[in-house]
Amino acid sequence: MRERIDLVAPLSGDFQAVVRLIIGGIAERVDFAFEEIDDLQLAVERLLAEAGTVGSVRLSFEVGPDGIRTRVGPLSEHKVAEALRDGNAQPGELTLRRILQTVVDSFGVDEADDGRIVVRLEKIKGIA
Amino acid sequence: MNVPRVNSAGMDARRASNPERAREEDRALLRRYHESGDTHAREELIQRHLPLVRSLARRYAGRGEALEDIEQVGAIGLIKAIDRFELEREVSLATYATPNVVGEIKRHFRDKGWSIRVPRALQELNASMSGAIERLTGRLGRSPSIAEIAEELKTTPEEVLEAMEVGSAYSTVSLSSGPSGDEELDPLETIGGEDAEFERSEDRAALEPALERLAPREREILRMRFEEGLPQTQIAQRVGLSQMHVSRLIRKSLSVMREELLR
Repeated sequence: MRERIDLVAPLSGDFQAVVRLIIGGIAERVDFAFEEIDDLQLAVERLLAEAGTVGSVRLSFEVGPDGIRTRVGPLSEHKVAEALRDGNAQPGELTLRRILQTVVDSFGVDEADDGRIVVRLEKIKGIA
Repeated sequence: MNVPRVNSAGMDARRASNPERAREEDRALLRRYHESGDTHAREELIQRHLPLVRSLARRYAGRGEALEDIEQVGAIGLIKAIDRFELEREVSLATYATPNVVGEIKRHFRDKGWSIRVPRALQELNASMSGAIERLTGRLGRSPSIAEIAEELKTTPEEVLEAMEVGSAYSTVSLSSGPSGDEELDPLETIGGEDAEFERSEDRAALEPALERLAPREREILRMRFEEGLPQTQIAQRVGLSQMHVSRLIRKSLSVMREELLR
């Protein structure tokens, strides 16, 4: 059975620590390892860094025995798509795509209303 | 590149048994470094005085900061003292270095400003977490869960999570910030010998201007994490830091790079 937790948080930096704490609390419930929690926190943190500091963002966590599926958005498509690009990345360049590829097991992008997007992150327990 | 580690007991014993000879040896090494630019002499001076750094760092233990972090900050003060020492001075290097090391450590605590924002119990829990994670990782052969860390430290998972956040809220100022002056190298960039891995990362840095703001070690940590795909535990072993410290450096480095890209 999968449980779901929804959170709407201000994008202002003051609340990033709160988001991290909540992610830690959720991940602890599925017995994620310290390093897995850190990975998921980093993925969300870097994604939110691309989303600006104005307004708020919705985060949705689907928690199952195997791991956590996180949805972040709607986000401005232009900003995040630019950060997720990889096609023009030079060797050694550290794009958001590269970071997400490293710290989560899969990620993807869904279209939302008014041209914005929602980013999906999946972190599976025990793979870290 | 690590802050050098040393068998402090051996060094201390040699220094204590013949302090006058130790001072003469220090002076000879200082002369080789300052007059001939002999970096091996500088490295030896660092090694010889790390026990002093350790001793001074221990005075500041138990204030919410892992001892290894305090030692690293103190080592930066030592290196500055070696670099700034004037041969005309009559004072010993140990005497000259002590206020530099203490000053660097005090500045570190002042910059963090933990004492007024974070409850002492959480600071202490954060400081003890690093060691607990290392012990558990060694014992279990994997990264421990929060519940396991809590059990090890005889506390609750919620407090461990809070303490984690306390740790991530600060940046290791001296290790992550750039040089403090235009003419001054980041001290950590100058410790140890040449390392082929760092030279390779230097090459890559030319391709990514944002990476240039980072110290070589931080660049190498990012390379290991995001190019080699190594887990934090392995990176921690390679660079001789705790896993928590590696985590903080990764987060800090990515933030610094993003700030640079936005400039």
